[in-house]
Amino acid sequence: MSNNKNNVILEEYENEFSYKKSKTNLNIEFNRIAFIFFVFLAISIIYSIQLFHLGSLKVQSEIKPLITKKNYRADIIDRNGNYLVKTVSSIDIGISPLEVIDKKKLLINLKLIFPNKDYKKIEKRLNKNKFFKFKKTISASNYERIMLLGDKSIRSEEKLTRIYPQKNLFSHIIGQIDDDNNGISGLEKSFDKKLKKINEPLKLTVDVDIQFLIREELLRFQKIFEAKGSAAILMNVNNGEILSMVSLPDFNLNKRETIKDVNYINRITKGIYELGSVFKTFTVASGINEGIIEPNTEFLNSKKSIGCGKNYKIKEYDNKMPSDLTVEQILIKSGNVGSVRIIRKVGVEKHRSFLKTIGVLDKIDFDIEEVGKPMPIDWYEGCKIETIAFGHGITTTILQLAKGYSIIANGGYDIKPTLIKKNLDKKDKKKKVLRNNVSKKMNTMLRKVVVEGTAKLANVEGYQVGGKTGTAEQVSNSIYSNTKINTIASIFPTENPKYVLVVMLESTKNNKEYVYEYRDGSGFKLKGSPRNTAGWTSVEAAGKIIDKIGPILATKYIEN
Amino acid sequence: MKKIALATIFILILVTSLVKNSTKGIEDKIFVLNENIRPLKSELGDILLEYNYLSSPDKLTQYQSQFFEKDLIKIDITKIKKLIEKKNYITTSDFIEKTKDE
Repeated sequence: MSNNKNNVILEEYENEFSYKKSKTNLNIEFNRIAFIFFVFLAISIIYSIQLFHLGSLKVQSEIKPLITKKNYRADIIDRNGNYLVKTVSSIDIGISPLEVIDKKKLLINLKLIFPNKDYKKIEKRLNKNKFFKFKKTISASNYERIMLLGDKSIRSEEKLTRIYPQKNLFSHIIGQIDDDNNGISGLEKSFDKKLKKINEPLKLTVDVDIQFLIREELLRFQKIFEAKGSAAILMNVNNGEILSMVSLPDFNLNKRETIKDVNYINRITKGIYELGSVFKTFTVASGINEGIIEPNTEFLNSKKSIGCGKNYKIKEYDNKMPSDLTVEQILIKSGNVGSVRIIRKVGVEKHRSFLKTIGVLDKIDFDIEEVGKPMPIDWYEGCKIETIAFGHGITTTILQLAKGYSIIANGGYDIKPTLIKKNLDKKDKKKKVLRNNVSKKMNTMLRKVVVEGTAKLANVEGYQVGGKTGTAEQVSNSIYSNTKINTIASIFPTENPKYVLVVMLESTKNNKEYVYEYRDGSGFKLKGSPRNTAGWTSVEAAGKIIDKIGPILATKYIEN
Repeated sequence: MKKIALATIFILILVTSLVKNSTKGIEDKIFVLNENIRPLKSELGDILLEYNYLSSPDKLTQYQSQFFEKDLIKIDITKIKKLIEKKNYITTSDFIEKTKDE
């Protein structure tokens, strides 16, 4: 044996292999039913996703309106659903002379369908071999007849066009559009984007019948008193809805004329005027609102004129004005001196704040863009506050005057004049801007102005009309001229005012032939206008307007 | 338990799919109806436009002077009466009440 020791160790062989289930992190209980269910589930989910996807696609397609249609604009209707503007599709017919087979035959056929056209000119154009428009906007029946000719040279082009069935009636409100379908004035301009987007018609607050009646009367009185222009607005004092807004002269929207004459200005919204004594209502209301005066507050020993500034004297219009007057009598008799004495009691800042509150001082935010900006006032200059007391040295628009009277009459609640009909929520709280009882006191006084004062011709039986007149000299080139701005701002019925009606006649003349019928029940008639004042011009017009629109307002809008 | 839950989900999905399928059918019907209404609406719009034009106060005044000899008269509001319906009879009353200053 050697040193090498070979140690042999015999160990019992143990087979270490044993079958074990593979252990992974995913411990899935796998069986056949679960697998089938899983497949079903996957299919169902995919199917559901597809259904939801299709569903959502459909909703999207429903949102898309006619917007894509070229030159589309939504219609505009009045408060009763009558069309004021409608977009209709029309067809233009053109002729391509190169494709005409028999020119003589074509001309004879066209002559039969359109006998009034100048066919000598058309023959010349046919010979020029250039495509030309034969007839624009043809009727459906003529389109059918012309297409039945079967001439390949006749081409038709369908387009959308705006139709104004009421012609002139709403020209200043609706405004115009240009050839590229963009609004250039009125609501067509301010609601340009909306009109191109919406499918439903734009509903306005105006009433076609009332607008027509007011326009007719304005036209009549404009002729009677040879006025340069006139305007009237009828508004709901409680919600600012404008039922009628007429400014004359107006224009036929269907003619699509370019209006450059400044006399065609919108006298309700754009024209700014010194409106005279209609502002005395604001002077009195301001004093009552501040608690400084009451309707029976007396102003004694007033002279026929009152001095202010260095050498300026404010005179009474009527020399018979009594020296002792209450506030109510000052308003009824339209006293200048009395108004100055009231405003001196109120003070500059308080009166300025009052006029600002009722919205006559600043540019108004309105539905159309043609809005005038009242002239800035230097409140502490010379006699400024004194002249403002009786409506001189202060300008505003007729629209703002109507707003001011509405707030004074409706209980002192702020309103926003509007032309757009909205679904007014009754829960919407109105903002009260005047103190309690101001309206009640003012309405009683305004009623007396009509019954006893300068607006007797507007005392239409059954309507309890209240109001105030204003005769102002028109400013021309910074100086006062002889031409007059005659205005009446009226509210009715004074017991619970619903409407404000402002009528303005610009640059009127006396009429020697016109017969006034007194409304005091005496049956007295007067031939010829005694004076060129509001009391004998715009008041008469307002009375006749209320005569005509009153029954409609009283019966048609009884619930409103 | 798991099986019941899974089966419930499966049934719900199936029912949802069936409901959605049936509503799709209704939606199709609505779509067809809407498409049929569209030309009718357009036609109605055109007829209304014609009606508005022909019955506009301007046209009515024109017809009045063309076809009738008498002028239109305004309504006196004091002569308008209200009809009051009672059990077996109808009475009338003044539409407006006169105030002291009238």
